[in-house]
This record gives sequence, structure tokens and C-alpha cells, in this order.
Amino acid sequence: MAKDEKQPKKSSANSDLRLQGAALLPDYAQQVSKRSPISPNSVFRAEIILPLLFLLYPLIPGLDNWLFSRTNTSMGSQLTLIFIFSILAIGLNVVVGYSGLLHLGIAAFFGIGAYITGILTVPSYPFQFGFWIALAIATFGAGLLGVILAAPTLRLRGDYLALVTLGFGEVVRFSIRNLEEITAGTRGLNPLPSPVLPFVSEASWKIDYRWFYYLTLAMLLAILWLMRNLERSRLGRAWIAVREDELAATCMGINAARVKLSAFALSAALAGLAGGLYATKLTSTAGPDAFDFNRSMIMLCCIILGGLGSLRGTLLGVLILIGFDNVLAPILDGVIQQSGINASNSRFLVFSNWRMFIFGMTLILIMRYRPMGLLPARMAKAA
Amino acid sequence: MASSNSLPLFSNRKSKFENRKSKMWETFLQHCLIGLTNGSLFALIALGYTMVYGIIELVNFAHGDLFMLGCFLAFTLLAWLGLQGAGPVWTLVGIGLILIIVPIFCGSLNVAVDRIVYRPLRGAPKLAPLVSAIGVSFVMMNVGLFWGGAADLNFPDLISQNLSNHNLLGNSPIQFTPKDLMVIATTVPIMIVLTLFVQFTKLGKAMRATAQNPVAAQLMGINVDRVIGATFAIGGGLAGAASVIYALYINTISFQMGFQNGLYAFTAAVLGGIGKIPGAVLGGLVIGLVRALGSGYIGEKWTSPLIFMILIVILVFRPTGLLGAQTREKV
Amino acid sequence: MRLKRVCNGFREEVPIPLAEVCMPLFRRVAVVLWAVAATLTITGFSGCNSATTSTAGPKVIKIVSSLPRTGSAKAQTDTIVNGIKLAFDEASHKAGEFTIEYSDLDDATAAAGQWTAEAETANAQRAVKDPDVMIYIGTYNSGAAKISMPILNQAGLMMLSPANTWPGLTKPGKGDPGEPEIYRPTGKVTYLRVVPADDLQGPLGAKWAQEMGVKKVFILDDNEVYGRGIAQLFEEACEDLKIEVLGHESIDAKAQEFKSLMTRIKGLKPDMIYFGGTTQSKGGQVAKDMVSAGLECKLMVPDGCREDAFIQSAGAENLNDRCFVTFGGLPPEELTGSGKEFVERYTKKYGGQPEAYAIYGYECAKVALAAIAKAGKKDRAAILEAAISMKDFKGALGEWTFDANGDSTLTTLSGSVVKDGKFEFVKVLGEK
Repeated sequence: MAKDEKQPKKSSANSDLRLQGAALLPDYAQQVSKRSPISPNSVFRAEIILPLLFLLYPLIPGLDNWLFSRTNTSMGSQLTLIFIFSILAIGLNVVVGYSGLLHLGIAAFFGIGAYITGILTVPSYPFQFGFWIALAIATFGAGLLGVILAAPTLRLRGDYLALVTLGFGEVVRFSIRNLEEITAGTRGLNPLPSPVLPFVSEASWKIDYRWFYYLTLAMLLAILWLMRNLERSRLGRAWIAVREDELAATCMGINAARVKLSAFALSAALAGLAGGLYATKLTSTAGPDAFDFNRSMIMLCCIILGGLGSLRGTLLGVLILIGFDNVLAPILDGVIQQSGINASNSRFLVFSNWRMFIFGMTLILIMRYRPMGLLPARMAKAA
Repeated sequence: MASSNSLPLFSNRKSKFENRKSKMWETFLQHCLIGLTNGSLFALIALGYTMVYGIIELVNFAHGDLFMLGCFLAFTLLAWLGLQGAGPVWTLVGIGLILIIVPIFCGSLNVAVDRIVYRPLRGAPKLAPLVSAIGVSFVMMNVGLFWGGAADLNFPDLISQNLSNHNLLGNSPIQFTPKDLMVIATTVPIMIVLTLFVQFTKLGKAMRATAQNPVAAQLMGINVDRVIGATFAIGGGLAGAASVIYALYINTISFQMGFQNGLYAFTAAVLGGIGKIPGAVLGGLVIGLVRALGSGYIGEKWTSPLIFMILIVILVFRPTGLLGAQTREKV
Repeated sequence: MRLKRVCNGFREEVPIPLAEVCMPLFRRVAVVLWAVAATLTITGFSGCNSATTSTAGPKVIKIVSSLPRTGSAKAQTDTIVNGIKLAFDEASHKAGEFTIEYSDLDDATAAAGQWTAEAETANAQRAVKDPDVMIYIGTYNSGAAKISMPILNQAGLMMLSPANTWPGLTKPGKGDPGEPEIYRPTGKVTYLRVVPADDLQGPLGAKWAQEMGVKKVFILDDNEVYGRGIAQLFEEACEDLKIEVLGHESIDAKAQEFKSLMTRIKGLKPDMIYFGGTTQSKGGQVAKDMVSAGLECKLMVPDGCREDAFIQSAGAENLNDRCFVTFGGLPPEELTGSGKEFVERYTKKYGGQPEAYAIYGYECAKVALAAIAKAGKKDRAAILEAAISMKDFKGALGEWTFDANGDSTLTTLSGSVVKDGKFEFVKVLGEK
């Protein structure tokens, strides 16, 4: 923790590290030393082991049931949800992490994806394209909307851009809510049919969590692979260059506007994809409030907490925050209720009364002791 | 006979038309008045946002929840002082007391939060304190839940209770009650004093210097940490003052009220040009007006999207807000 | 484990990234994993998913409720859970020969501050998977019910709602097209509710307004499933009854105040304003702003506002003699028999009159206990069958039966008016 304590003293008055010439050197040296600590050819890397763990999880007979009997939580089903939110977070990471643009409206694209998928598949509409086509259209549709939003607003800087994305998010949420003829308002569209795959019957999608688990896991892994390659590609490096210094990047011949636009489009498309999966998994588009500003903030917290611009960090952040809210909190709640310590019916001994407090303290403490995030990207710097 | 009959009929119709026209104007003015009153409340909250942003570039999402805690403290004090149903003199004294205690509480709380949560993160990436601020917001919301319970609370209408709800504009159809006057009579002086303070006092100058360049300010012998602390204190104090006025004016408080008010205040701050004190005031007034006119003429359910659509359009044409300077961001 | 290292001769110690620290561990685990992977791929996709074994004894039955316990609806769900707990405590957690274990699940998350589809799905799946769970009490929001109904239906698990009022959940032709069949993949009725649906309350409210001599009405709703649904039904009924509808607006329940809207409504001079919504969706603020804008007409609200919290949030003086409330069933103070006892016991235990939904929570728990006792065995289908076939159930709400759709046959609604900070019973609406 030495670094965390020293830094504030050294630059306590300074919000911009780069102004101090001397401070720049150790920072740079640290980056160099951090590079590739793990032998690249090793098959034992975390990148291989963790996917393997997740691939194996449902195959181990009785594991899910054993966990269920211990925790009363259907772990496999919750993991599916975490995979979906991971896709959303990876999408947000493209804009915020790689390109350094603060985006507070990712939930809007998530919602657009969910509603496009809903409209194209539910029985009350005449389209009924089926899952795969709808998902593809949702992904592209959300991406296109991302371009439409980003094109006129890219010249905005920092927090002004953040506010535009926030505003867009709210406009989308209210539009979904108010355009009742199209979106069924707060009632939500339902039921969304299950995906169609050969050899898998409609019923088994619903009974067996594993089909959806593998579908989302496969998509997540594919996206992770894509992002890993994209990170090192011309475009990925251009994103980072623009984040670090837009002027210098432009001087090197990078078309900053186009680079930012592509980041926006990709992030919106991934959010749309996640939205489509989310709605299909829940067989309903839920309601407009599932796509509100809170959702955007929490996703942003996930990626900052994990480490901006780092794929591993993003996944860890989602696991911690979404995992806390959907897995850990219900388990703790159950334990406290069963333990019977609250015989006197005190409101201070009810777990749900403390939920926001614990969630907030988690955010504060992690940022306090790991201000760069839990698994910072090698190149990440104050942006 | 026919003509004598038609004449009054005609004049009657004409006066009816004029009547309707003047009525339209009255309604319009009434909406504007409501908008400006609400807008000055938004502005007061936005000032706290914008001052903190101006000095450490932190979007303090916990500001709205600080405001909420201020409302709860005012509510507790009110019961404690026994103001409900009290006579006019004691009520005025009581309101005065609350208006002193709550801002002090909010200011100190804000400074404490800065000390404990934000100060260790001064050298960290810009988005780290943002997450902490969101965390603080959740914690404060939970405190509010324990403090005031989950349901909406009615904040007794102390002003109308003593001064009655009569119209200050005499028999004019436009309603301007002592409550409206109270909002304007307290927010406007606060804003003027704040502007003068930042413009002319030593501490105000130190604040502006720190906002411009913290390193240079430090080299000039300014104790930057103290200046930042003072900014948090003033920002919190403004939130406290706003919370008392809001509670007396709107009369409903709940543990979730901080979120929406904070969102509007943030919007107001950015709309006016974040970091600019007159900008926050202007932004607040614009949002108040748009809200009132929107719900008066377009429809309540489209009011919020309308505010944000106008915001997007304004920012597309004025990328640094209404009063923001067209300067390049520091690199 | 070494957690810090000196960096390139500089005086700083920097933390080693977590991933690097954990590497040796990863390596060991990996070898084992690859081995497991190999065996499993050979044995194939064999794990059995659906059969979870019972963890509790054969004489223990679990009942879960799924309600938003965090965030904006907490005040109401607290009273529902109090009602449920009261019923179980009264029966000393026994139904027939079975012991009842109750868990209060939360279908909201801290991050969202309201019910979320994922939490509701998880609760439903959890209930389905646990073979000891025989009854699922929930949900509070009709939107949430739409999500958990198909899951529970597929498992044949009985769902008992204390608060969903969207007509489409049970009644064909009263909701969206395709409802309610889309919630019943197996074709059987597994969803029952003890609360009357909106299709009674809206029209009866309009009828009452007409009896009071209302000619012109302005309708507001909170744009939520419940509020908007009931306001639309009220509007349709007004058209049938020849009450002039001056306008119908949805408010934003997160807005701070509605003075401008009230100023506009004032210009239209209505006799009454109908607000379809709850205390949580700014029912109190609507009443307050009516007064401050100088509107002196009546206000009518549905049962979502029939709770002390509504009067508290609106301020009693703003509602006096002008606020009319419709409510499914008789109000607590008018109840006789077991209903009256419920009110007494509730007041004794929790200190304070039960709120509107508390009695529905209590009734749900009572139905659950009766169904288990009647079925006499720990079997989901048998308990469901027992509940559906119960005739003339004598509950706190009166004597009633579940009809073929799973709705309560209770069609009595009552009208109250707010007087001196209390709801005062006026008359029974729509008794046959």
C-alpha cells in the first residue's frame, strides 16, 4: 500500500499528475516493470484457467445442486446473468476505459437492445423473427443509435459529454415508458421465446439453466477474444492514443473523431447484444426502469472498480458488484433470517435495511485502497 | 332593435376573446413564476455541485443525498423545537435557527466526507473519486432510511400556517404566496453573497486560484487542502440551506429525494458551464422554467425528457455550457 | 506471499498485481482442472440438474415470499411481511402436521432501489429448485409477477399474490392480447390472488363519483402498471357514465412537485381529480399541490393510497373531507369476526393500525396454512389443488372462494373519505 499513501502526499494539491515532471518517471518505470509478468506461452494462465472453470462448472454432476443446498441460490443461473452483465461492462469499457470518454448512458443502449429483441420476437407483434435474427438486429440497431448519438456530440469534452450521454439515457427511458403503443409502457413486452437451436427443445431451455449458461458464456468468450485482439490492433491502439493525448494522436495522423465514433458504436452494439440476451433470459423486457441511470452508474462503478481499460478488471468488477447484489446479498439475508437473531423484530437486524450501506461502503473502501482499480491495465494512467 | 341587440353581443364576444387572451398570459406568467421559484432551488443545490467540481473536478454524486440528510435534520429539529402549530414569532425564530444549524451540519458533514473519503484519492485517476462519491451516496441514503423511514414524510407547512396562504399580489389571478416569496427572498441573497465572496474575499480568490492551477496556487503560498476543505464546507452549507428552503416549500421529504434533485442540480451545473457560479444559477433557472412550462403546456410525462433533450441541443451548439468559456481542456 | 516489490531501483515500493500474486496457486489448480476436464468430457453432459434433494425433514414445509424489500416500496412491503408473519406466529408455524419455515426474499437490489427482473427470476428459480418450498407468496409489482408466473407455473408451484392488481394476470380479455395464457405454459392455473383486480375498482370508483354528483373529472396516473391500469379503467367507466373527462395525464413519479400541472388543471375547472397511483408514486404531493395551486375540487384515489403513510405524506389538513378512497374489501375498522381479530392482534403486535396491504399479506398466509392443512401431504400439486378447491374460505377479508381464473370472488369494495387525519368509512361499493 506504500504507493497509495505516498502519492497523495506528493501531489495532494494536484489533480493532474502529468503536470509534475518528476512524478512521471517512476510511473513510467512501473509500467515497464509490470509488462508481461506471466510467461505468455504458459497454458496455465488465468485467461485459460478461468474460462475452463466456468466451462466445467455445470458439467460436474451435482455441483450446482450442492451449492444450491448450501446457499439456496441457483448459482448457474446467476452466473448466466453475470456473463450478460460482463458483456455490457466490456462494451462500456470500450468507451470509458480505452477511449477515455465518460459515458453515463450505457443503460439506454442496453434497453434499446432488449426492446428491439422484444418487439421482433414477442407474439403480440407480427414480426416474430426468432431469437437469432432479432439479436443480430438488436446489436446493429443499438450500434447505429450509438453512432447517431455520438456524431454530433463528439466535440464535447469530459463531463459535458458525460451529461449528454446521461441525458440521452433518460430520454430513452422516458420514451420507452411513454410510447405505450409500441413498448407497452411499464408493463413490458413478454413473453420472449427461447432461442432456437437444433437438438434443443423449447422446454429444455426453460428447465435446464445450462443451455443459456453456455450460450452466454460462449458469446462472452468470443467477445473477450475479440477485445483482446482489438486491444492490440491499430484501432485499439488508436483509442488509447486518443485517450492519452488527443492532440498528439491527431498529429500522428489518427482521425480522432472517427476513432471515438467507432468506440461509441462498438460499445452501444455490445450493450445492445447484452440487452437482447438479458430480455431473452428473463423472457420479458422487464420495464423501462430496468434501464435507468442507476444501471449505468453501477456498470460504470464495475469497470472503474475493476480497473479501467483492463478486461480482467472489468470482469472482476462485475463479479464483485453484480455478484454482491444478486448472489451474496440474498445468501446473507437468508442466513440472518434463519439464524433467528432478530426475534425482537428490530429494524436494525434486518439485512435488507443495510444493503445500500454495505454496497456503498464496498465502493468507498475499494477505491480508497485501490484507487487504480483492482486489476489495473498495464497502460492505464490518469485519464 | 336588431342592431341594438347585436352590439352588446359583439362587445361581449370581444371582451370574451380579450379575457381569454389575458387569461392565457396570466397562466403563462404563473407557470414562469413557478418555474423560477423551483429553478432557484435547483440553482442553490447546483451551486454546491459546481463549486466542488470547479476546484477538484469531482462530480459529487453524493451532493443530492447530503441535501436529503439536511431535510431530515430540519424535520427532526422542527419536531424538537415544537414548531408545528407554534405562534408566528417562535416559528420565525425557529426557522432562523434551523437555517443556521442545518447548513452548519451539512457543511461539516461534507468536509468530513472529503477528509475521509476524497482526500486520500487526490492523486488518483479522475474517475476513482467518482465511484467513491456514488458509494457515499448509497451510504447516506441508507442513513436517511434509518432516520426517516421508507415512506414519504410530510414536512409541515410552517409558512402558510402562520402567514396564511393569501396572495401577495392582491386580487390578481396570479398566485404569489408568502412561500414563493420566502424562496426567492432567501435564495437570491445567498447567491449574491456567494458571488461577492468568491470574487472579492481572500479565501474566494484562493479558491479561484486553486481551481485554475493547484500547483501554482500552492507555490504562491495557498494552503490548497484548506481551500478545498472550505469549498466543501460552503458547498455543503449551500445544500443545507437549500434543503431547509426546499422542505418548507415543497413539504415532502423522503430518503430517495436526493437522487432526482441531485440529477437536476448536476444537469443545471453542467448546462450553465460546470465550475461557473453564475452558470449554475442560470442553469437552475432554465431547468425550472422548462419544467414548469413543459408540464403546463406539453404534458407532465414528457417534461423530464424535454429537459434532457433541450440540454443535449444546447450542448451541441454550445459545447461548454451556456456560460462556459471556449477554452481547451488542460492537458 | 510477497505483496510488494521495489520498482527498478526507485525508492518506491509498489504492490504486485493481484493476478501475479495468485499465479503459483493458479498453476497448481490448473493441473487438477485439466485432469477433471478430461474425465468429464469423456463422461459427457451427464450432470442431472433438476433433482435437488430435500434439506429439511419430511414434515417441514417452506413458504417463501418475494417482495421488494429494498428501496421505494419498502414501507408497503414491510406491512405485508408483518401480516404474513403474524399469521404464521398465530399458528405457531404449524399447518396440520407440518412445520412452516418462512423466508422473506427480496426481489429488489440495492443498486436499483426497486424490484428488478433478475432478482425476481432468481427468487422464482430458487423456490422452484428447493423441493421443500410449497408456496410462493408474491409479488408486489404486477410487472414482477409477469416474469415469475411462467417459471412457477412450469414447476406447478402455487403462487399467491397479496398485491398484484393487473387484470391481465388472471382474466382473459381484460389485459393485453394473449394474457393470461402466456403466463401459463402448462395450461393450468397456478397463480391465485386474494386482492381484487383493478377491473372492479376503477369502474366502481367512477360510479361512486357519479353518485356524488361529479360532472367533470381530470384523471392523473403515475405511469406504472397499477396506477395507469386503474386510471384507464376509470376513464372508460367515466365515458360510459357520461362523466366528462377533461384530460388524462401521466405524471413522473420522481418529479418533485406538480404545481404547473395543477395550475393548468385549475383552468379546466374539474369537479374531481382522480389519481391512479400509490403513496410511493407521489400521491401525497399531488394532494398537496392541488391545495397550493388553489384547486378546491375533490380527489379520488385507489387502494394504493389507502394507508396512513398517504395521509402523513399529504398532510391531513390537505385531504380533509375532499379525498375519497376506494378499497377492495372492507376497511379494518368495519371488519367483523376474524377480520376484527386480525386488526386487534396486529395493533397489539406491531403497535399501530394495519395498513391496506397488511391484511392481504395476512390473508395469503392464512390461505397457505389452510391449503397445507387440507392437502395433508407435502406435495405441490396436492396443495395447489387444495387451495383452488377451497370453498367459502373464512378469512380476515370475509367469506370467499377462488374462481376458475384464480381470482377471489370477493367483489365488495368500500369507499372511505379522509376526515381529521383518518379514513372514515362511507359506504360499500358494488355489492351484489
